[in-house]
Amino acid sequence: MKFDTIIMGGGLSGLTCGIALARTGKRVAIVAGGQNTLHFFGGSFELLGNVDGADVTNPLEAISSLDQQHPYSKMGHEQVAQLAEQAKSLLGDAGIKTSGDSARNHYRITPLGVTKPAWLTLDGLATTDRPDSLPWKKVALINLESFIDYPIDFVVEGLRALNTTVEMPTVTLECIKRARRSATEMRATNLAKVFTNTRNVAQLAEAINAVAGDVDAVLMPAVVGIDNEDASDILKAQVEKPMYFLPTLPPSVSGVRINAALRHYFQMLGGRFLLGDTVDKATLEGDRVTRVNTAKLQDTPLEADQYVLATGSFMSKGLVSNFERVYEPLLDLDTNAPKEHAQWSQFGLMGDQPFMSYGVMTDEHFRPLKDGKPLSNVYAIGQVLGGHNPLTLGDGTGVSLLTALAVAQNILDQK
Amino acid sequence: MATTQLTSISDHNFEQCLKCSICTVYCPVAAVNPAYPGPKQAGPDGERYRLKDPKFFDEALKLCLNCKRCEVACPSDVRIGDLIQQARMKHTTHRPKLRDMMLANTDLVGSMATIVAPITNFSLGLKPVKVVMDAVMAIDKHRTFPAYSAQKFEAWYRKNAQAQQDKFAHHVSYFHGCYVNYNFPQLGKDLVTVMNAVGYGVHLLDKEKCCGVALIANGMYQQARKQGEVNMASMRKSINQMRRPIITTSSTCTFTMRDEYPELLGVNNDNVREHLSLATRFLFQLIDEGEVKLAFRPDFKMRVAYHTACHMQRMGWAIYSTELLRMIPGLELVELDQNCCGISGTYGFKKENYETSQAIGSILFADIEAAKPDYVSTDCETCKWQIEMSTGVKVLNPISILAQAIDVEATQKLNGVR
Ligand code: SF4
Ligand code: SF4
Repeated sequence: MKFDTIIMGGGLSGLTCGIALARTGKRVAIVAGGQNTLHFFGGSFELLGNVDGADVTNPLEAISSLDQQHPYSKMGHEQVAQLAEQAKSLLGDAGIKTSGDSARNHYRITPLGVTKPAWLTLDGLATTDRPDSLPWKKVALINLESFIDYPIDFVVEGLRALNTTVEMPTVTLECIKRARRSATEMRATNLAKVFTNTRNVAQLAEAINAVAGDVDAVLMPAVVGIDNEDASDILKAQVEKPMYFLPTLPPSVSGVRINAALRHYFQMLGGRFLLGDTVDKATLEGDRVTRVNTAKLQDTPLEADQYVLATGSFMSKGLVSNFERVYEPLLDLDTNAPKEHAQWSQFGLMGDQPFMSYGVMTDEHFRPLKDGKPLSNVYAIGQVLGGHNPLTLGDGTGVSLLTALAVAQNILDQK
Repeated sequence: MATTQLTSISDHNFEQCLKCSICTVYCPVAAVNPAYPGPKQAGPDGERYRLKDPKFFDEALKLCLNCKRCEVACPSDVRIGDLIQQARMKHTTHRPKLRDMMLANTDLVGSMATIVAPITNFSLGLKPVKVVMDAVMAIDKHRTFPAYSAQKFEAWYRKNAQAQQDKFAHHVSYFHGCYVNYNFPQLGKDLVTVMNAVGYGVHLLDKEKCCGVALIANGMYQQARKQGEVNMASMRKSINQMRRPIITTSSTCTFTMRDEYPELLGVNNDNVREHLSLATRFLFQLIDEGEVKLAFRPDFKMRVAYHTACHMQRMGWAIYSTELLRMIPGLELVELDQNCCGISGTYGFKKENYETSQAIGSILFADIEAAKPDYVSTDCETCKWQIEMSTGVKVLNPISILAQAIDVEATQKLNGVR
């Protein structure tokens, strides 16, 4: 089977790169093994949140202080600024509406009720301009009875620390009780399926109006509408007070929706999406990959002019570690992980974990290095890349989006 | 105990579970029916308890469609659907009812029905009969039964096609399945047309039994195993003695014989599995390797919405069918988002499941209506019933579309067929 480009990995960066290429009429196939880390997405994209332990105000300016190995350093200030705009409009074209500015971070509220710098936040989610206060004096945080997988006490404590009075009225509904009969957990996505039904949404609105009281805004966990915005739009229209959603623990409703929206858009553009399949072999001739084989298509090799590695980090097995080393399992590409095992991680869960910045090394066009030399028709994008750190730098989703677009541009520039 | 641990772990990867709950997001049953615990709970979580004590087995597991959408979604390759089916197989005390036996024995009931097809079709469509079936048999009265054909595919084949098959340079055996034999022989005829056009003779297997998918779903494992052994013996003969690979036109039969036989039933399919393929995949590979060519009719025009059947998705083979359809110049293809149609073989025929079944399918039906296609295409026959009943849009197997789109004479010429 022949394509112009084959992308290995169907998460945020793989889909973004696929869309950018398919839009220009390229024949693109994405091989995606299982669902991806978008399901852990909180609802905000970050470009650059922290440098040297301090919050970043202007991400575009702060790029100059990054290490030379950082993906943004390879693009340079101008390209980062331009691709950031392109990313925002691509998301919009896929039906994902966001607000935010690459030259000025705002603050998102994490699922545990803490503020963190963010670049783009999905419309409808609560945000604030400052790390230490909310735009409202008094809010009602709706406590959905039976939503046991929501750490509401943490969130209330977090919000109260932001100079806001927080009420926590409880809402009980028959439809939630019915769903609760299931022996499964009560995750955000389970509830979102209940609140896709417009009758249930109307009941929810009525119940919220009855308990909200005299507040500036109503906040509630993002558990409304699994497939699209319709249900949450209806709810917001029916709730009398201004209303905003807060992100939840995974799997998140925003993540499921973004994933579906991007995939739908990619396929609408003619892209081929091979879900539940993985590339298990890449044939290398000299410095070129000539074909790949997947677990499910076995004796049908996939061939393309370019191959994009978007296989993610350790969790998605784009990187693997054993007792001896950290390696990239498909092509055994060069990584920036030190040989010494002891340096991989530090004690304490929240500390700077060096292994989070491990990944494959590339040249300035994001072509990965093997034995010190770049492969000529392979590119690496997203979390498989080394030299950045989603935990300490707050650059995870930004790196995924921007490297995807940069590589799409590099591929298109070739001819 | 030690052996239980060992086999379970190596069997279905259940210890790989990260507890991320992504599987539950994509389970069509958990989405609409709170009585079902969902894949994570029914699969890897429940398995831990069941290994300790079988009394933790929950009869609600029979609500699983065995669609395997959870497995496709799982980032850790846990074979959740297999775990659930195996638990049912090991622990259930529930005995199949007469209704389940009838629904499951697709070939037995099919044979009887064909003999009296006009009467069966007439009476299956009749209101009072449906009400009786609803009340006595618990087969939902809203269901339209697939019509039974007056002439079985095998009979048509022997009379009209068999004699010409030996003249071709290449040969395949065709596992037609119950649906083609009893309900829709046209698909079998279309397959013969297409394969003959590219220079392949089509033959029946020595002995063909129902693949057993409905038997597995209804808990009749012994019988499924027996039928599996018969099929494997016929296929081995076809492969080893006649050098004929086997093709099918049903994604579910293919999946059952390639994957459920060894994984669930313990039926050995070594040396058969790699020679057993779906017709669209077989054809695509021949074209991809330059072995055969297709010539299309210049006047062919059709807007098609392709639905990926659950087992097609599990096999990862939808791409073969869609790439084949995309080769047709006058065909405009819309790929529908991946959603289950809700029928899952005999599941949706049961009264207790009707509502769940239609609720599951509603997303897909809305997508189909929005796409405004001339036809829906899918590789599964039960999806065809469900979609036709629920949307009114006609459904064609990709092979039938191909049979309409190719210029048979020109294709024969291209492939040196006289
Ligand atoms: S998706 Fe897989 S890893 Fe996640 S909970 Fe389900 S079985 Fe476990
Ligand atoms: S096989 Fe289908 S119905 Fe059964 S648990 Fe998995 S997703 Fe749900």
